[in-house]
Amino acid sequence: MFTCVPVYALPTSVYTQPMPRIQLFVTCLVDSFYPQTGEAVVSIFQRLGIGVDFVRDQTCCGQPPFSAGLHAEARPLAQHTIEVFEKTTGDIVMPSGSCAHMMKHNYLELFRDDPAWLPRAQALASRVFEFTEYLVDRLGVTDTGAKWDGVLTYHPSCHTLRGMKIDRQPRTLLANVKGATIVDLPATEDCCGFGGIFSVEHPELSAELLKRKISNLETSESPTLVLVEAGCLMHIAGGLHRQKKSQRVVHIAEVLASQ
Amino acid sequence: MSSNQFRKRIRTSLANAHLQKALDLNAERRVTRRINALETLPDWKERRQRAHAVRAEVIENLDSYLDQFTAKAQANGVIVHRAKDAAEAVKIVLKIAKDSPRRREGRQENQKETFAALGALRGEKVLVAKSKSMVTEEINLNHALEKENIRVVETDLGEFIVQLRGEKPSHIITPALHLRKQDVGEIFKEKLDVEYTEDIPALTNIARKVLREVFLTADVGITGANFAIAEEGAICLVTNEGNGRMVTTLPPIHIALIGMERIVRNLDDLALMLSLLPRSATGQKLSVYTQIVHSPLPNQQRHFIILDNGRSRLRNSPLKESLLCIRCGACMNACPIFREIGGHAYNSIYPGPIGSVISAGLFGSEFVPLAQASTLCGACKDACPVDIDLPKLLVRVRAGQSQVSSLKSSNPHGLTLFSSLTLRMYSRIARHPRLFALSQKFAALGAFLIAPFSQWIRLPAFTGWGYSKDLPRFANKSFRERFRKEDTPSHVTLSASEGSLLQQSETLRSPEALPQSDTSKIERFAKELTAVHGHVHHAENATQSIIQFLQSRNINHIHLEPNVLDEDALTKADIAFSREPDPAIRVGVTKAKCGVADTGSVLEADGEGKSLHASLLPEVHLVVLHTSQIYPSLEDAIHLVKNTKSAVFITGPSATGDIESAHTIGVHGPSDVHVFLVDD
Repeated sequence: MFTCVPVYALPTSVYTQPMPRIQLFVTCLVDSFYPQTGEAVVSIFQRLGIGVDFVRDQTCCGQPPFSAGLHAEARPLAQHTIEVFEKTTGDIVMPSGSCAHMMKHNYLELFRDDPAWLPRAQALASRVFEFTEYLVDRLGVTDTGAKWDGVLTYHPSCHTLRGMKIDRQPRTLLANVKGATIVDLPATEDCCGFGGIFSVEHPELSAELLKRKISNLETSESPTLVLVEAGCLMHIAGGLHRQKKSQRVVHIAEVLASQ
Repeated sequence: MSSNQFRKRIRTSLANAHLQKALDLNAERRVTRRINALETLPDWKERRQRAHAVRAEVIENLDSYLDQFTAKAQANGVIVHRAKDAAEAVKIVLKIAKDSPRRREGRQENQKETFAALGALRGEKVLVAKSKSMVTEEINLNHALEKENIRVVETDLGEFIVQLRGEKPSHIITPALHLRKQDVGEIFKEKLDVEYTEDIPALTNIARKVLREVFLTADVGITGANFAIAEEGAICLVTNEGNGRMVTTLPPIHIALIGMERIVRNLDDLALMLSLLPRSATGQKLSVYTQIVHSPLPNQQRHFIILDNGRSRLRNSPLKESLLCIRCGACMNACPIFREIGGHAYNSIYPGPIGSVISAGLFGSEFVPLAQASTLCGACKDACPVDIDLPKLLVRVRAGQSQVSSLKSSNPHGLTLFSSLTLRMYSRIARHPRLFALSQKFAALGAFLIAPFSQWIRLPAFTGWGYSKDLPRFANKSFRERFRKEDTPSHVTLSASEGSLLQQSETLRSPEALPQSDTSKIERFAKELTAVHGHVHHAENATQSIIQFLQSRNINHIHLEPNVLDEDALTKADIAFSREPDPAIRVGVTKAKCGVADTGSVLEADGEGKSLHASLLPEVHLVVLHTSQIYPSLEDAIHLVKNTKSAVFITGPSATGDIESAHTIGVHGPSDVHVFLVDD
């Protein structure tokens, strides 16, 4: 929490200021499947001198039922999330462009005819940031001091790329990782076929899109695919494992935290 | 169509190797062409926003624009009808067709042609020649007309092919997208009794010959309309092959079926739309023929039928934004799902992303499952020239918000029971943080019991997830269990150089300024026309240059528009000319009303209705254009269509991409276009 202290005007170039803090929305998938991604986010913020608050009442933003069309199920989850973060202050940062898209844009859609909740959703939306967007655009950080020995390629997840218009930010951060060679992923903007409940509703279609993505990954010759989304990550990694491929998929936070 | 029927159709598409190849080809070619074409328009993103606003305003005030359009069209001498649904529209068309004067004499004269299949065209039946129109597909017009013993022939190459095969179009722009040239060769051999060929120009030429007779003898021509211009009472038709021009020009009756949302306010808005539509649809700066049809030609009857058929209901529903659509098909070409399954799998005349929205909105809740076949990746929204938020609308359909689908329907969300139950259970748990945390522990434990020694779980295929991929193990300890409020100091000492942590505003790159062209309008015109396979001649004297051109090709008889050339000089040079169409004449000569530099187009307008023939029927079209009449862009030139009965911007020779997206020149209109530039 912010503490009010006088800022000393020091004669040198060194000064003290209250430590900025962010609210971490870790997302349900990172929470349940990839806690190390959440820890990587925390460690990067620590390194940058930014405190991280994690409110334990957070669960799921409601994206899965919302996207499936089950809005009666999505609404209570959105309301819960709004209530949880209304008790906090500061920017809300999450290692997922699709959850950010949900909270920034789709909450407004969900409550568009609800005069009680719409203003609350709008207030929340203004505080929501995707992790790489926050680093680059909000903090002006383009180099996290990470080192990675090897070749990397980046897949821009659809909700991050087209929903949130975030692409330059993760690519800039990756370009500044020492030791890493970044190669292009062919047809990089093509969807990987995850799409939340879609991959369960239409497994045959999902599989076709995944096949294309994996084949493009092979063409890139990169052993490692970097993503900003745990959903697409689970989907592609699961496909690679089923096909007994050697490539691995990592969340960008883990790359940016690596030393 | 139930979820299961849809899934079955999806599997059929996936298993069809030929279809898969055709779809890949379409996606690759069409997407590249669209992007390249839009890049020639440096402000296209800004135009797209303007186009959205213009369309939204029209849909908002649709009733008054429709009234304006109707009044103006009636004043132009057009008979205007309103149809509230498919049945009404069909009834109106039937009545017009049955009352039509027949052109049987013409048909008998043309019996020299020997295509076996055409036997059925002749005789006592009313013959209707159609150019491609999705609205007529929507109301199933062909079927209704055939039932009343009226012969209908589709004249767009792609539609002609699917009609011969007894199929529906699989794409709104390229109806035969699902077929290979071999398929076309086979159906032509079977139905038209010609030698098998898979040479695309040869196939195109067969269609040209067969359909030419249809144009010349049809009693009624039926078209759709790309736009209806409220202020003018005119419609705009955008085509490439020339069949649209034939059908609106040659038969004594022309009927245009117009979806009621096709309205644009005025010619300026039309020019804006035309800068986006062909680029998005086919990657062309302008389609070969951009017609603006105001009034009937002499001895012609023109009818406009304005069709509602669910559009008013759509307009009052949360899917209203879908009425902004200008039917370019770009969302289909960009959609990764359409690329896998093609148009027929959707079982609706409107497939792909926009189809998955409007089919549910127009035709009913049985089409809701279509909207579940999307990853919501947003490629459709990015491709849309009027920036329709398709992912948002797809979610609204899934949420049961298409007004015709009620939540009481057995499957209001188009989901399988399995997905629906899983999501509901998950959502109930996630409402309660403690229950959520507890479930994580159970899931982790369960995963450990199922696969104690692996980081992966292999789920059975019926779960969907297990179909093509494995599931990672739940973490033994979730993030919430691992997180400890870290012991970071509440104050931090930073050096000034690290002050860069402060907010850094992103400076927006200004859109690149238009390239300062050093070429004049004339050079630009010549360059653009050459790029679309037209030819440019610089002439000191139009008559002399054209005489030289004709003599070099041993041509001594032309179809000539009045007041274009020095006719005494022609006679001296032994070149005969006539004013009337004649199948024996290979060259037509006209004068353009104007040229358009940035598309290489020339404008032909009716005069007495003759220049439209001279520029359309012969194989070679020679155009005289005064250089002072070249305008920089369509926006500058479009006002010249005012006070014409029918006008057309011609951009190069007639062409098609209907077989395997291969650009083929010379369909129904001229295959050779020469512009003779004359300084004033």
